[in-house]
Amino acid sequence: MAMADRFLGEASSVAGADFAHLVRRHQSMVFAIALHFLADYSAAEELAQDVFVQLHANLASLQSEAHVTFWLRKVTAHRCIDHKRRRKPPQISLEDAPEPSEPARVTDPWMARRLRQVVASLPEKPRLVVILRYQEDMSPEDIAELLGMPVATVKSHLQRALAMLREKVTRTIGEGKT
Amino acid sequence: MRKTLLWILLAATPATARAQDLKIPADVEKLSAKAKETVEVTMDGPMLKWASKFLSAEDPEEKKCAELVANLRGIYVRSFEFDKEGAYTSAEVDALRAQVRAPGWSRVVGVRSERDGDNVDVFFKLENDKMAGIIIIAAEPRELTFVNIVGPLEVDQLADLGGEFGIPKLNHESLSKAQKGEHK
Amino acid sequence: MTHTDEDLKSALRRCEAPEGFTDRVLARVANEQAVESTSGRESGLNIFSRPVLPWATVAVASVALIAGGIHYRNVQRERTQGEAAKQQLMLALRIASSKLQLAKAKVNDINVNQTKNRQVKE
Repeated sequence: MAMADRFLGEASSVAGADFAHLVRRHQSMVFAIALHFLADYSAAEELAQDVFVQLHANLASLQSEAHVTFWLRKVTAHRCIDHKRRRKPPQISLEDAPEPSEPARVTDPWMARRLRQVVASLPEKPRLVVILRYQEDMSPEDIAELLGMPVATVKSHLQRALAMLREKVTRTIGEGKT
Repeated sequence: MRKTLLWILLAATPATARAQDLKIPADVEKLSAKAKETVEVTMDGPMLKWASKFLSAEDPEEKKCAELVANLRGIYVRSFEFDKEGAYTSAEVDALRAQVRAPGWSRVVGVRSERDGDNVDVFFKLENDKMAGIIIIAAEPRELTFVNIVGPLEVDQLADLGGEFGIPKLNHESLSKAQKGEHK
Repeated sequence: MTHTDEDLKSALRRCEAPEGFTDRVLARVANEQAVESTSGRESGLNIFSRPVLPWATVAVASVALIAGGIHYRNVQRERTQGEAAKQQLMLALRIASSKLQLAKAKVNDINVNQTKNRQVKE
């Protein structure tokens, strides 16, 4: 069943739902997509805020929690692409995406840093595809529906992006993997 | 079998006159053109003070950072990652080392390794017998890093931060394993 | 799942939004609603037929709300910029720390090798 069809069957509207609850529930998802795409902390927060302000204006049209999730991912994705096209590259260094404020310990934080740097350097569409795949655990079919592109294109983006990631990411002795 | 050549300078190398305010030498900036990835951090005193306002006293890592930077006047970092070995020359690194010459600066560690290609120099600045700054130049096969920290700091405190940030503390055992295992 | 897949999932995991994010969104929504409701349009005739004092009060309230909104925005911008600067600072310290540890490790290695060589000679 197409992802959109799943939402239509659910009866209750979210219009009456507590908006603050929705923000708290989904803020890490929206912020993280923006941050991993833009690699700019302050731009990511601004974008994430814009998404939720837009959500507030569109609450009446959303039909379920699942619909909200779909809507948020879609709007965040499109705003990320619009943001990149409209703005100059960030003035500060490539890696200004911070470590999460309450991280589970990563096995190799330097590898994680390298990966985020390389992901942030991918072209826009493959970058989004990788973020939705690995951050949001979405299937290629769901990603295709969200971004409005053929499934084959999504899979091709993923394949090439992964090949690039494997080739670019390197480790040095000083980065401590034993 | 390639002979490992490691030597270390512990005696202070007399300094020669050079610009007092060494932040990031021009030669370092040129290397960014060759790098595939660059990390740049430039924080002068006022910026440091402002940034450290946002360090949380309730987070143990951030608290340690706040203590470390409390009296610093600047932090300057350039870290370059290259596509392949040989992207920069030893002459370029020598030129960098040569620029760390100003009254009060002494080289306290100089390590050259033919085996794995890692070369590290650590320079201290002393004023009235107290630590007033540190410069680290780490030249690895595909990575070159220049760090300049201006102001009084506890070197052990800085080195210990590695453990706090989830970077494993390097000791002899882990280094041996790294050399036997996934060394590139 | 391959090793790279695991690394990517780990590197791209969701992270917490900045502290106070929800409050800032709610404040922004409330602010925008207030600005919309107090600066709503009326027909030209109606404006001039209303008493001046309430109209002036509405105008002053609108200006105050807009100014407050701008001030709020500035405070919020400073906070997000401060957070970014903080992360830069921590990144710099991490890099410095790791290179210092590299130097220490090399020195340890020398000491161990020298000890071994001495033992061999003996």
